[in-house]
Amino acid sequence: MPDHAHRSPRTPAWLAWFIGRLGYGLLTAWVISLVVFIATQALPSDPARVILGPDAPLQSILTLQQQLGLDQPILVQYLRWMGAALRGDLGISLDSQVPVAQLLFGRLGHTLALLAGVLALVVPLALTLGVSLALRRDRPLDRWGLSALILLKATPSFLLAVGLVLLFSMPGMGWLPAVSILDPQLPLWRQLPSLVLPVVALSLSALPYLTRMVRASMIEALESDYVVAARLRGIPERLIVWRHTLPNALTPAIQGVALTLRTLVGGALLAEVIFSYPGIGTALNAAIQMRDLPMIQGVVLVITLAVVLINLLADLLTVLLTPKLRTARRVKMIRRNRRGIRPWWRRARSTPAQEATHD
Amino acid sequence: MSELFSRRVFLGNSLAVGGGLLLGGGLLSGCDGGAPAATAGAAALAATPVHGGRLRVGIIDGDQAGNLDAHKPVGGGIIRGWALYAKFWEWNPDVSTRLALAEFAEPNADASAWIIRIKPGLEFHHGKSITADDMLFSILRLTDPQLASPFAGLVGAIDRQALRKVDPRTLEIRFKHGQSFYPLDETLISFGGIVPTDYHPVTNPVGAGPYKLKSFIPGQRSLYTRFENYYKPNRPYADELEIIEFKDQVSRAAALRAGQLDVASGVQAEHSALLKADPRLRLYASPSTSFTGFNLNLAKAPFQDVRVRQAFRLLADRQELVARGLNGFGRIANDLYSPHDPTYNHALAQRPYDLDQARSLLRQAGQDDLRVELTTTPGPGVNAALVFAQQVQKAGVQVKVNQVDGSVFNGPQREQWQLSPGSTPARGFLASALHNDAPQAIYNRSNFHDPRFTELFHQALAQPDLERRKALVHEAQVIQHERGGLLIWGFSDVLDAASAKVGGLAPEQTTFASWRFDELWLNHA
Amino acid sequence: MTDARWLADPQVRRGAVITSWVVLVAVLGPWLAPHAPTAMVGPVYGPPTAGAPLGHDFLGHDLLSRLLSGGVSVLWMSVAAATLALLVGGSLGLLAGFSRRRLDQAISWAADVSLAFPDLILVLLIVSMLGRAPWLIVLTVAIAFTPGVIRLARGSAVAVAGQEFVEAAQMMGYSRWRILFNEILPNILTPLLVHFGNMLTWAVGMLSGLSFLGYGVAPPAADWGLMINENQAGLLVQPLAVLAPALLIAVFAYGTNILAEGIGRVSARIGEKQP
Repeated sequence: MPDHAHRSPRTPAWLAWFIGRLGYGLLTAWVISLVVFIATQALPSDPARVILGPDAPLQSILTLQQQLGLDQPILVQYLRWMGAALRGDLGISLDSQVPVAQLLFGRLGHTLALLAGVLALVVPLALTLGVSLALRRDRPLDRWGLSALILLKATPSFLLAVGLVLLFSMPGMGWLPAVSILDPQLPLWRQLPSLVLPVVALSLSALPYLTRMVRASMIEALESDYVVAARLRGIPERLIVWRHTLPNALTPAIQGVALTLRTLVGGALLAEVIFSYPGIGTALNAAIQMRDLPMIQGVVLVITLAVVLINLLADLLTVLLTPKLRTARRVKMIRRNRRGIRPWWRRARSTPAQEATHD
Repeated sequence: MSELFSRRVFLGNSLAVGGGLLLGGGLLSGCDGGAPAATAGAAALAATPVHGGRLRVGIIDGDQAGNLDAHKPVGGGIIRGWALYAKFWEWNPDVSTRLALAEFAEPNADASAWIIRIKPGLEFHHGKSITADDMLFSILRLTDPQLASPFAGLVGAIDRQALRKVDPRTLEIRFKHGQSFYPLDETLISFGGIVPTDYHPVTNPVGAGPYKLKSFIPGQRSLYTRFENYYKPNRPYADELEIIEFKDQVSRAAALRAGQLDVASGVQAEHSALLKADPRLRLYASPSTSFTGFNLNLAKAPFQDVRVRQAFRLLADRQELVARGLNGFGRIANDLYSPHDPTYNHALAQRPYDLDQARSLLRQAGQDDLRVELTTTPGPGVNAALVFAQQVQKAGVQVKVNQVDGSVFNGPQREQWQLSPGSTPARGFLASALHNDAPQAIYNRSNFHDPRFTELFHQALAQPDLERRKALVHEAQVIQHERGGLLIWGFSDVLDAASAKVGGLAPEQTTFASWRFDELWLNHA
Repeated sequence: MTDARWLADPQVRRGAVITSWVVLVAVLGPWLAPHAPTAMVGPVYGPPTAGAPLGHDFLGHDLLSRLLSGGVSVLWMSVAAATLALLVGGSLGLLAGFSRRRLDQAISWAADVSLAFPDLILVLLIVSMLGRAPWLIVLTVAIAFTPGVIRLARGSAVAVAGQEFVEAAQMMGYSRWRILFNEILPNILTPLLVHFGNMLTWAVGMLSGLSFLGYGVAPPAADWGLMINENQAGLLVQPLAVLAPALLIAVFAYGTNILAEGIGRVSARIGEKQP
C-alpha cells in the first residue's frame, strides 16, 4: 500500500495515495459484488419460480433453472459471472431476456441526468442560503431558516415526492408532467419538464444537510484570524465574504457534496419509483422483486462503482484544494480516517523499547 | 350493512354500464348474442372510427418487465402479444371463441383430433405468407419442453409427434395417448400466436397481429406501427400504438389525468369515482366472470373433512366480500366457476351466509376452536383474505393471514398451503377446471380428487355435442358444489379507463376489453 | 448528568415536548381507540362522519382507531433499530479503537465497505429476500446503521484517547478498563447520543419508506408506515387515510431530530465553556 510511496521522490505523494485509494475502492466494489451474489443465491429465492408464476408445471421450472444455470454450484455461477463482467458482459436479464448492459446503459444516463439536475439546483442554493444564514447568525432569519431546514430534513423524502405527484395530477396543473414517463424516441434534453418534479423532490431532501454544512464552515471561517485581520485592514465586507472566506469554507463542502451524492444514489430509488422515472433505481427495485440476479448484480456493481468514484473524486479534490495536503511529503498526513494522533496504548505496543524507557 | 349495500348500488348505477353489470346474486345467463347490451357513456362519441394517430395505452406490469415471446408471454408480454400476434381463434365479448386466422377449426366426433385450416393469402409482418409449416412450427415451439413455458400444462395434452400437415393451409392436431380434448380453442387462444419459422422472441419478434414492433424497451415501453396487411380489412385504426408500462396504479392514474395516456388498462376500483368525475375521461366496467375465492386444501387438516369445507363456505359473507374485497365491483358467486358457459348448472341454489349452520357443522366435526393459516402473496388478494379472516372470527375460527413472497408461494411447498386464495380469468367450464380442480389440472391447490368427478370430466372432454356435455357438466358441478375444495365467493369486474377521445372500447364479459388493439381508435383531430 | 442544562435550552424543550406527545399518542392510543384496529365498521374509504371523525380506510376500518393503534410498532421498531445499531456499532467502534492495528483495520475496512453501499438498497435486498417479520426489519435497519456508528465511535474514542487527561490517567497507572469507562466513555457519549437521535429520524423515514414500497410490516397489523402503503390507492378519494399517518410520522421524526440537534448544540456550548 501507499506507505512506501514517499521513497520515490519524483512522484508527488498525493498521486501514490490516489492510486492506493483507487485500488482500495475497486477492492470494495469487488467485495460488495461477492457479498451480494452470495446473498442472492444463498437466500430462499428462486428466479425461475418468480418468472414463471403460479401456473407453471414443475418440468418447466426445472428446465428454466437449468437453462439459466441456476442448478450450478454458487461458486461456479459467480466465477462465470465475474469472468463475463470483466470482459464487459453483464449477462442477460432473466426477466426480459435482453442484455443487462443494454438495459442499464439508458437508465444510468437517466439517473445521472437526475443527479446532475439535483446538484445544479442544490449546490448554488445551499451556498447562497448557507452564506446568508451564516452572515445573520443567531438572528431571527437564521433561527427560522434552521427550523425550516430541520423540518425538511425530518420529513421522509418519499412524502415530499408523493405530495408533488398529487399536486400536479390535479386538474389545471398540467403545466408540468406529474409522472416522468420519458419517451425513448426523443433526446433527454427535449423532455426536461419531466425532470423538474423528481429533481425538486430530491433537492428538497438534500438541501438541509448541505446548507447547514456551508453555514457551519462559513461561521468558522468568518471567525478565523485572517478574516479578523482583513477586517482590520479595511477590506470591504462583501469582498471578505465572497473572495476570502467562501473559498476556504468550500473545502469541507466538497465532502458534503460527496456525501449528499452517496445518499442520493440510494434516495433516488424511492423518487424514481414514485415518479415512474426510468432510472436504475426503478430497475433495481423491479429486479429485486423478480429475483433477476444478473440485473441485481449489474445495478449493484454500477452503484458501488459510482459511490467509490464519488468518494475518490471528493478526496482528490480536497487534497488538491488544500495546499498543505497537496504539497505533503508524507502520505500519512492525507490518509483518511487517521487523525494523526496515535493513542498511548498503541504507541506502547508497537515500540516496546520506548515502553522500557518510559518506565 | 345496509349502508354498504346502498353504496355499492350507487357505485354500480352511477357507472352508466347498466345492462352489463348485474348486481347481487344475479348470474350471467350465458351469451346474449355477441356484444353485451351495454355500451358505456362512450355512446355519446361519434360512432365512425377515425384512422391515424398514436394510441398510448398504459398498463400495469408491477415489477415484471416481461418479454415479447408469443408462446411464453410473461408480465406485460401477455398484453403486448395482443398487438403482435394473431391466433387461430379470438375471444367473443361473451367469453366464447370465434375463428380468427382460421377459416375452419373443428374437432372430430369424440374430440380426439382437430382439423384447423387458415384463411388463404395471410401474411406475417415481414411479408412472408403463412403456411402450414408456420402453423406446425408455432405449435411445436409452443409445446416444446425446452421453452419452459409457464403454460406448458395447458397444452401438455397435444401430441407433438402426431401433428400432421394435411395441405399447405391445414393442420391436424391429435392428443397424447389418443385422448380427447374438446377445449383446444380456449387453451390455445391465449398464447398460441402463429409465428413464422424464422421467428425469434428477441431478435425477430414477428407475427400476424394488428401492429408490428418498432421498438421495445423492457420495463418502460414498446412502440408499434400499423400492420397494413392485417387479416381484418380496414383494421387497425391508429397509425401507431404505444404500450407504456407502469409500476403502480397511483402514478398511472396521475398520468391518465394529466393527458399523458389515452387508455389505462385495468384500473383500480378505488380510483373509479375519481376517474368518473373527470369529464375528459370515461370509465368502462366489464362484468367479467373471472372468479376470486379460496382454495381449501383437501390434503391438509382440517379440510379433508367435508363438514369443515361446507362450514367455511357458509361462513363467507359474500356480499361483504364483494363490497370490501372488490370495492363493490363484482358479483357474488356460488362456489362454481364459468356461469357464462352454456353448460353451467343454474339449478343449484345460491349458498347463503349461515353462521348457525356453520357453527353446528364445525361442532359436529369437532373443530370448535379452529386455527387456520391463510397464505397469500402481497397484492390485491390480500384485502379479501383480511375481510374473510374477520368474518370467520364470528364462528370462533382464527384465520391468520400470512403474506409470503411470490417465490415462496409458488415454491416447492406450493401444494401444502392449508388455505390460499385462488382466481382464474374468465374461461369456459372445461378450461377453468384445467386451471383448478380437474384431474389433470395444472395447479390443483385444493388437491380435490373425486372418482366420479374425474369420470365425468373425461367424458366431457370427449363430448363436442353441447346438450350431452351439459348433462355431464351439470352433474360434475353438483359434486363441486357439494364437496369441492373451492370457496368461490365472487366474480370481479374489470375496470378500464380511457380518454373521451378513444373509441372502440366497450365493456364485455372478458377481462381484456382494452386489449383489443384492432378495435380501438383515437379521435386525434 | 447534564439533564438540567439540556432542558434549559428552548430547542431541547420543544423537541422533548413534541417527541413525548407523539410517544404518548402511540403508547396510550390502543387504549383510547373506539374500535379494534382490525374491525371493519364502515364503508370502504368512507368520508369522515360523526361516529368516525377521520373516516374509514381501504377495508372500512375506523381510521382513528387504526391511527391510535398504529404508533407502537413505528415507535418500538425505530427505537429498537437505533438502539441495536448504537450498541453494536459503539462496541465495535470502541473495540476497533482500542485493539491492535490488524483488528482495527479489519473492522474499519468492513465499515467502509458497507458505507459504500446505499443503506436503503441494502435493507431492500435483505428484507425482500428474508421476509417482512418485524424483528427482521429492525435487524436489517440496524445493520444498515451500524457502520456509521462504528466510524463515529472509533473516531471519537481515538480523538479522546489522545487528550491530556487520558494521558494523565494513564501515567497514574489506572487500568485500561478503568480509563475506558471513566475517562473515555463519558466523553464520547454526547456525540453518540446526538447520532442516536439522528438515527431515530432516519429509522422512521426508512421504515415508512419500506412500508411505502411494500416491504414493511405485514397487514392486518396497524402501523403508520403500512397505513400509507395500504391506503395510497385511495389517496385521491380519502386523503386523510394517508395524510394522517404521514403527518404523525413527520412530527415524530421532527421531534426526535430537534431534540438530538438541541442536545448536540448545548453540549457543544458546555464543551466550549469547560476548558
